Amino acid sequence: MNTILQTTVPGMHSSRSHIILDRLGSVIAVLISIALFAAPFATYRANRIVAGEGRMLTEALPTAGALGVTAVILCVALCAVLARAPVIRLAAAAAGLGAVFPALGWSAGFLTPAGNTFARVSPALGFWLLTLALALLAADALTRLRLGPLARLAALAVAAGAIAGLLLSGAWNDLSLLKEYANRADSFWREARQHLWLALGSMAAACLVGLPLGILAHRFRALRAAVLQVLSIVQTVPSIALFGILIAPLGYLAAHVPLAAALGIRGIGAAPAFIALFLYSLLPVVGNTVTGLSQVPPAVTDAARGMGLSRRQRLLEVELPLALPVILAGVRIVLVQNLGLATVAALIGGGGFGTFVFQGIGQTAIDLVLLGAVPTVALSFAAAVILDAMIDLAKGPSHDRD
Amino acid sequence: MIEIEHLTKRYGAAAIVDDVSFRVEEGTVAAVVGTSGAGKSTLLRMINRLVEPSAGRVLIDGQDTMAIPEDALRHRIGYVIQGYGLFPHRTVAENIATVPRLLGWDRRQIAARVEELLDLFGLDPAEFAKKFPHQLSGGEQQRVGVARALAARPALLLMDEPFGALDPVIRHKAQDELLSIQRRLGTTVVLVTHDMNEAFHLADRIAVMNQGRLLQYAAPAELLTRPAEAFVEQLVGSAERPFRLLSLMRVQEAVEPGTAEGEPLSVADTLHDALSRLIWLGREVLPVADASGAPVGRISVSRILAHGRARA
Ligand SMILES: Nc1ncnc2c1ncn2[C@@H]1O[C@H](COP(=O)(O)OP(=O)(O)OP(=O)(O)O)[C@@H](O)[C@H]1O
Ligand SMILES: [Mg+2]
Repeated sequence: MNTILQTTVPGMHSSRSHIILDRLGSVIAVLISIALFAAPFATYRANRIVAGEGRMLTEALPTAGALGVTAVILCVALCAVLARAPVIRLAAAAAGLGAVFPALGWSAGFLTPAGNTFARVSPALGFWLLTLALALLAADALTRLRLGPLARLAALAVAAGAIAGLLLSGAWNDLSLLKEYANRADSFWREARQHLWLALGSMAAACLVGLPLGILAHRFRALRAAVLQVLSIVQTVPSIALFGILIAPLGYLAAHVPLAAALGIRGIGAAPAFIALFLYSLLPVVGNTVTGLSQVPPAVTDAARGMGLSRRQRLLEVELPLALPVILAGVRIVLVQNLGLATVAALIGGGGFGTFVFQGIGQTAIDLVLLGAVPTVALSFAAAVILDAMIDLAKGPSHDRD
Repeated sequence: MIEIEHLTKRYGAAAIVDDVSFRVEEGTVAAVVGTSGAGKSTLLRMINRLVEPSAGRVLIDGQDTMAIPEDALRHRIGYVIQGYGLFPHRTVAENIATVPRLLGWDRRQIAARVEELLDLFGLDPAEFAKKFPHQLSGGEQQRVGVARALAARPALLLMDEPFGALDPVIRHKAQDELLSIQRRLGTTVVLVTHDMNEAFHLADRIAVMNQGRLLQYAAPAELLTRPAEAFVEQLVGSAERPFRLLSLMRVQEAVEPGTAEGEPLSVADTLHDALSRLIWLGREVLPVADASGAPVGRISVSRILAHGRARA
């Protein structure tokens, strides 16, 4: 423990042995030590809403299991501090996660008295800290590996596969989170579809409208300032307020236009949520389209004109391909933002994962909150990785020097 | 042949190009020179209608350019700019294929043309066709830029400071290369440049512009010996004049009968080169040989100096 703490001195070098201690690795090691020895690993509750009691790792698992997991995690910490090769660091992080995640499921089974269906076990601070430390280690190793876009997508697929495997294997079934899921599996998938529809649908609509609008704004200077200003103002309206603002006109529309009502447009529900997300999405799409197009080198557009490419050919063959990485960066912002914001839709009856979050808050059932929050975070993370890879692919061979 | 008639461009009240007329003969090179802001680029860009003239017209082989749809007009005219404007997301081969593709050539024809041009510019197709512009040196980019402009065999090539970004050694090579390709293909070239040496080296005729007006349009030697205005005299550089004049003339023109000791000069060398050799070797005379190496006479410092003198 002492030696591990010493390593936190930034940039300290052990001059005698010439071992170079990794700075981030030292932070990770400290996090791990706190998680293992000073924080509860799991929380036990007699039923789903009473206050919980923390259980240290040593109490949460059979002795041999606790020792085994502790040993594995300490080895990982050692690797984080001493190992330089990113591959080793990545393998260490993977091994650590491979120990901690099943251990959580195991602890749930171990802590729940046999036959007791009311008792709940959920992850506690120690588990979260370990996950954070190991994720940091993995992320740092992946960054240092400088994986290409396809390799990053493959890594994402492997991680998703591992999590799916863990969930399908039933290893986590005793965990409170999965018990909450089991109680509402149908509504979970319904809300998942709704969440994706809200986030992806509004993004697609924003692209359909925003891309042409961005192209026009790029072409006509007067339009540009006006459009960007209006969209910036929309962006500053807080989401709840925007949902609220939309309720009144949509309610009016539903009451007075039969077609709107027939289409399912109502003052509350998915329609105002969809429209609000769509409005928020416009600025990044339009703004990045304008920026991307304006970054095309003037010599390139001049040469294109000089060679007799028509307006349309210039746009499709030169300007849009060169602006694509910047436009995709806008789409990435929209996607990550919408996946998060779509949770707020539940407040006005729009559905989505937010439904569980707000139900959970109402019932002070933290695991229900997690049932909504964890998939949201995971989706945002996956969307960011996928879009980043697409951006790199769009930059393509014309940028492979940097 | 291209005829520029009373060409004028006004932005507001200012005439950026002011009533300019001149004619470039088939297969010759015309250079447009002048200080920055003189209106050279604007003049050039009115030829392929990147800038619409306020008045006047341009005839290409007798046809008014206004009578041709602008994209079709530009397909027929090669265009090279400073910085080349290569498409960064396209390979060298795709860049060169741009205009033939727009013209709907078939794939085999395009591939053959790309290969032919890369060979012509000394770029090995196997190595360069698949490269992207950022993987090329400045000199290679420049050659690809010119090759792209020549891809659809235009009879006319417009160049706006095409060598501006190259170092002196590479620039000189590129100029020689352009000249030999131009002679071989018989392309008519209008070239804008800041560099007087370049204009004298490449051009059959030089147009001197100042503040939108064409001050003089003449052969290089005439510009030196009979400058129309003080500005022209100043631009061609009064101190440089004799040397410029000598580099426009060949040993052929100053050879005299007789023999001399030493390594012979060639009849094709410029008088400028010949004088340099004589000064460097500390000689008064050197023998002259023709292309096959047969002696044809000799050349002396005094004969050369006589050719670099102002004429009445
Ligand atoms: N679109 C325009 N609107 C207003 N003025 C312009 C426009 N384009 C060019 N000018 C002006 O016309 C003048 C001549 O420009 P031009 O580019 O033809 O000069 P140039 O001789 O090519 O100069 P340089 O050698 O620096 O390239 C400049 O003063 C420039 O500011
Ligand atoms: Mg210019």
